[in-house]
Amino acid sequence: MSKPDLRFSMPLASASAASPLPWLLISATALLVIGVVMIASASVDIAAQMTGNSFYFMTRQLIYAGLGCAVALGIANVPLAWWERSGWLMLGIGLAALVLVLTPFGHTVNGSTRWIPLGLFNVQVSEVTKICLIAYLAGYVVRRREELVHTWSGFLKPLLVLGLASTLLVMQPDFGATVVLMTAAMGMIFLSGVRLSRFMPLIGLTAVIGVLLVIFEPYRLKRVVSYLDPWQDQFNSGYQLTQSLIAFGRGEWTGLGLGNSVQKLFFLPEAHTDFIFAIIAEEFGLFGSLAVLVLFAVLVTVGFVIARLAERDGMPFAACFAYGLTLLVGLQAAINMGVSTGLLPTKGLTLPLVSYGGSSLLANCVIIGVLARIEMERQDLRQQKAEAGKGTRQGGARYVD
Amino acid sequence: MANSKPSTNVKQLLIAGLSAWRFGMVLGVFLLAVLAIAWRLVDLHVIDQEFLRQQGDVRTIRTETIDAHRGMIVDRHGEPLAVSTPVETVWANPREIDPQDPRLTPVARLLGLDERALRNRIRELGGREFIYVRRKIQPDLARQVLAVGLPGIYSRREYRRYYPAGEVTAHVVGFTNIDEWGQEGIELSFDNWLTGKVGLKRVLKDNRGRQIKDLNLVRDARPGRDITLSLDLRLQYLAYRELKAVVQAHGARGGTLVMLDVNTGEVLAMVNQNSYNPNDRSQISPESLRNKAITDLFEPGSTIKPLTVAAALESGLYRPESKIDTAPGFLRFGRFTIRDARNYGEMSLTDIIARSSNVGTSRIAAELGGDQLRDLLFRMGLGQATGVGFPGEAVGVLPSPARWRPVELATLSYGYGMSVNALQLAQAYMVIANGGIRYPLSLMRVDEPPQGERVLSESVSRQVRHMLQVAVENGTGRRARVALYESGGKTGTVHLVGSQGYEHDQYKAIFAGLAPVEDPRIVTVIAVDAPQGGEYYGGEVAAPVFSRVMGDALRLLNVRPALEADAMISAGSRPSGARG
Repeated sequence: MSKPDLRFSMPLASASAASPLPWLLISATALLVIGVVMIASASVDIAAQMTGNSFYFMTRQLIYAGLGCAVALGIANVPLAWWERSGWLMLGIGLAALVLVLTPFGHTVNGSTRWIPLGLFNVQVSEVTKICLIAYLAGYVVRRREELVHTWSGFLKPLLVLGLASTLLVMQPDFGATVVLMTAAMGMIFLSGVRLSRFMPLIGLTAVIGVLLVIFEPYRLKRVVSYLDPWQDQFNSGYQLTQSLIAFGRGEWTGLGLGNSVQKLFFLPEAHTDFIFAIIAEEFGLFGSLAVLVLFAVLVTVGFVIARLAERDGMPFAACFAYGLTLLVGLQAAINMGVSTGLLPTKGLTLPLVSYGGSSLLANCVIIGVLARIEMERQDLRQQKAEAGKGTRQGGARYVD
Repeated sequence: MANSKPSTNVKQLLIAGLSAWRFGMVLGVFLLAVLAIAWRLVDLHVIDQEFLRQQGDVRTIRTETIDAHRGMIVDRHGEPLAVSTPVETVWANPREIDPQDPRLTPVARLLGLDERALRNRIRELGGREFIYVRRKIQPDLARQVLAVGLPGIYSRREYRRYYPAGEVTAHVVGFTNIDEWGQEGIELSFDNWLTGKVGLKRVLKDNRGRQIKDLNLVRDARPGRDITLSLDLRLQYLAYRELKAVVQAHGARGGTLVMLDVNTGEVLAMVNQNSYNPNDRSQISPESLRNKAITDLFEPGSTIKPLTVAAALESGLYRPESKIDTAPGFLRFGRFTIRDARNYGEMSLTDIIARSSNVGTSRIAAELGGDQLRDLLFRMGLGQATGVGFPGEAVGVLPSPARWRPVELATLSYGYGMSVNALQLAQAYMVIANGGIRYPLSLMRVDEPPQGERVLSESVSRQVRHMLQVAVENGTGRRARVALYESGGKTGTVHLVGSQGYEHDQYKAIFAGLAPVEDPRIVTVIAVDAPQGGEYYGGEVAAPVFSRVMGDALRLLNVRPALEADAMISAGSRPSGARG
């Protein structure tokens, strides 16, 4: 207890001087703007063909973006205490939405029942559920930490809840969202200090479930196989991926230029939604795709820094919540880019803040709003502590490993 | 969060338990993922780039043809006779169309198609990617069809052949099929010359098959070359009008008229009855497709007599005023009797032509011998191809026996036992008209002075011309007289050949002539098949056509009229009743 062991002191030490907040907002806004522009470019022809209005998707995304900014502002004004209090409400909403979508209220597109129609637009329930369950889990981890860390039952209880949610998600089916939610939850539990040995049976179970899914739902097996060598079956199961890879190849170093993508001309399905990263890569080349990757890296790092700072400054719920939310965004972005580049099997996942889609955009705006709120509350707390007296300062963060 | 005490405990525990290595590991995994994606991006953008780009090109770059339109056919003054005009062809991709789509109704209605048949076709050919819906329609109509907005309906540019002169030039020009391949006439024989060579270009196409941009030109399109015919559309119209009139007036089966420029061998007009409209071929009978002036043979009859007389003059045994005794007006060869209209007694060669004496020419031929007569006919181009390069040309028959039977020789002298087409007959008269030179005939405009071949002496041809003039002024061809011009010509009336041999009551009325006599410019041959009613002689049916056509033609060609007006006045008072 003599000297604090600050292995990751660099960002923390400078944090008092430079707030991570601007970085969060800059990277998120940049991605949002890139998204609107690229949706305009990628969807011009498909929108004209589907609706007769070339800017149909761009206009809608612009409206969502405005709405998203308002939502982020609103959420930034919701005290963290409310989230902490509403753990059970969140769990209720999250599970209720998952059940509701499987009733006839659900809206089916391409064989997946993922949406609940709400008049003007459809809500993708997995986006709502993800945030709700992460909020619930953050509350649980903080409330039952002792139990969680030290007993199997404390470890398994949240897993049962998550397992139920995963089952409902797979029933839609929405395998991508399941993976993102489960992995983010595991990350949170891991960060809360649970021993690694507890994860072993879970990893085994996940592997068994994965194998069973591949066996009993053969289209998944097909997808898995096609991603390993998409050129084998390039006109069938490997079609989308090969078209995506061609987009990267065409982009070369600097790309074909904004609006000059060829793959968006009905070659690459979902060009303005799940595969928008490929269109960015085609129109702006290696520099463009790396820029987007760097923006996501900045966003995720800032999210982790915010979480870590909250942790240091004695805001366990905020820290846990921030870890979970950052993991959600980071995992989804990484998986989406991994899918587009052929590193991972094809899944229907959007690129956060960039892809077209109201639910996904609003959900990510909520996440940005919550992260901003956490950082603001933390700064307020520090200020209060600083004003309260210099003596209490050393009672702040102590890291003993 | 029940009370503050456990809360602080938890807080402390949390802080104690939250180790930096866990945070570092999560962040590290993330950064590793970022690095993996970054490496993959470099891999795709830079290292795999060539393979991926090539794969992309395979899917997007197509080679398209560039239209090369077919050459024009024009008359000697550049008037268009066959032109390719841009039209639109509506086609469909049945894979993209639902046969039940209600929008097929307006499409079928606009195109004048049976709606049910169209739907059935789309259903039956559902596996194909291209079917014609309606070919070669007005661009405006195609726009209306596309405006219906049915996906899978497209239109593309094609060319349609139009024949502005229609039936007037139909037989010479011919026509193409819907793919613009020559089927008849000049369109067929000069198909290679007229057909353009399509170009190739590489284009970028989207996944709907629409062209995004031109990449590069592989091969330039070479448009088809034009053809300038020797026809003069004005003379062609004129000839067509007169021929049609005479065929209708006499209820004839058909007719032919050929007009040649005697100094170049160019065909100035070539018309036939019945003709057809090449722009609307739905009602065509195959019989009317023939260019009878070249493809149909007939026995030239008395129109050969001037050639027999030319052979006589050439032999040096005769002079135009040499007397031949034709009494008693017939010649008997076994069962066969050659007759004149009446017993003319002793007559000069000029009279033999003017009155068309069969006995006279038979006597001359017997004197000359068959080989000499045949040689002259052959030199005039009979029994040989004319060389105009027209599909389906009939060469005709010029007998060449080892030993001439007297009856054979006699009938040959007045144009039986041989066959010619109208163009060959015109060619023979061209030699007489231009002073004895045989020019190769041409359906193309001749711009260089043609290489002719002398086949008859100048003096003989002049003497024969004068005989022809007498025949018109004072003989069987009086109705061929041309106002203001002096003309010469010979009538002919032959029995048509039917399935049972010669038809006794069906004739072909022929007239072959030239004008002006002193310095001939054009020759014209007219043949009318099976004129009905009272008149059937060449002098009655064909000669008046000659008169009208030549008069107008010479005026159109700005030929100076003869100044001896009194000759015409006296000509008008002469008695009629000539025979062919």
